[in-house]
Amino acid sequence: MKLEGFPQNLTLKDGTQVVVKPLEAKDAPALLEFYRALPEEDRLYLRDDVTKPEWLERFVAHVQHNEVVSLIALHGNKVAGEASLYRALHGWTAHVGEIRISVAPALRRSGLGSVLARDLVKLAIGLGVEKMIVQMVESQLSARRLFEKLGFRQEAVLRAHVKDIHGIKRDLVIASNDVSHLWEAMEALVSDFSPTVG
Amino acid sequence: MDKSEIRVGGLGGQGVILCGMIIGKAASIYDGKHATLIQSFGPEARGSACSAQVSVADEPIGYPYVKNPDVLIVMSPDAYTQFAPQLRPGGVLLYENELIAVDDKLPAGVKAFGIPATRLAEELGRRLVLNIVMTGFFAGVTGLVSFEAAENAVKSSVPRGTEDLNLRAFRKGYEYGRELLAKAS
Repeated sequence: MKLEGFPQNLTLKDGTQVVVKPLEAKDAPALLEFYRALPEEDRLYLRDDVTKPEWLERFVAHVQHNEVVSLIALHGNKVAGEASLYRALHGWTAHVGEIRISVAPALRRSGLGSVLARDLVKLAIGLGVEKMIVQMVESQLSARRLFEKLGFRQEAVLRAHVKDIHGIKRDLVIASNDVSHLWEAMEALVSDFSPTVG
Repeated sequence: MDKSEIRVGGLGGQGVILCGMIIGKAASIYDGKHATLIQSFGPEARGSACSAQVSVADEPIGYPYVKNPDVLIVMSPDAYTQFAPQLRPGGVLLYENELIAVDDKLPAGVKAFGIPATRLAEELGRRLVLNIVMTGFFAGVTGLVSFEAAENAVKSSVPRGTEDLNLRAFRKGYEYGRELLAKAS
């Protein structure tokens, strides 16, 4: 699937230059390097063990089969951030997309997370996704604020659902953004029905 | 006066009227020509026959009704059966080729171009944008409205937030049309 509007050359709040683009197979080694360099505590929040080449192989295959849309931010030739939209292409949650974002510690608070999240939300709407969800640990306050700005609202809290690096159980917050009203408006527009004329 | 007459036909819910409206808007607002639109609906909210008549000309249009269109865009078998015999000989038929089977009863010299618009729309993410695929197909095959004008008309006609998918649908139809045209010539 060809995503339009990329690559984007951006200057972040702190002056760092990055290029945001869809992940390609050739970027896979740099992505693995990025994930391996993340602090262990950060990696604990991720659903998969992203340090393994087997994970990378599966991930790239998912991207190639359009089950995952992945954007990476390149700083020089290194990956500085990655954002993914996971979609079920069939079944009862085919209208839902899950967003996951990781940013290199050095570039946090630079606005890179916002850029990746905003791009991905826009892409998701363009792909016809009606509802987006994101899972965050209660303590990830900046991530929660970021997604709130993008229209996400807390939908569920799973109590003591995740354990941090110190073995402390924490709540998992699931926030969602229902954009189905956009498509309801489109549906009304193509209804070909006028109550006054019909 | 150089005037082109277009009819769009299909079922309620396929976006027939919006397709006609975008063509008219592209021609009049963005290409600087004159255009008129006549729309007719069935009594049901969904699934009834509906059609749009669009006229495009360089000068003001005195008579907006379309009797024998130069271009017919059809999205349902019923619309094809009803409107195809009215096509002007030598005119252009644009049809949804996975819903409609074209027979040999078309007026003489009609050039028929088919597109699997519903499937392409589904592949893009939403069946809902099949009319926009057809609009792009119309622009690509006939050239009666410019690419830029039609793209602007799509962008300004669809709900905010849905522009990306609608523009991709438009471009998909446009490119499909251009490729078909290149193969035919």
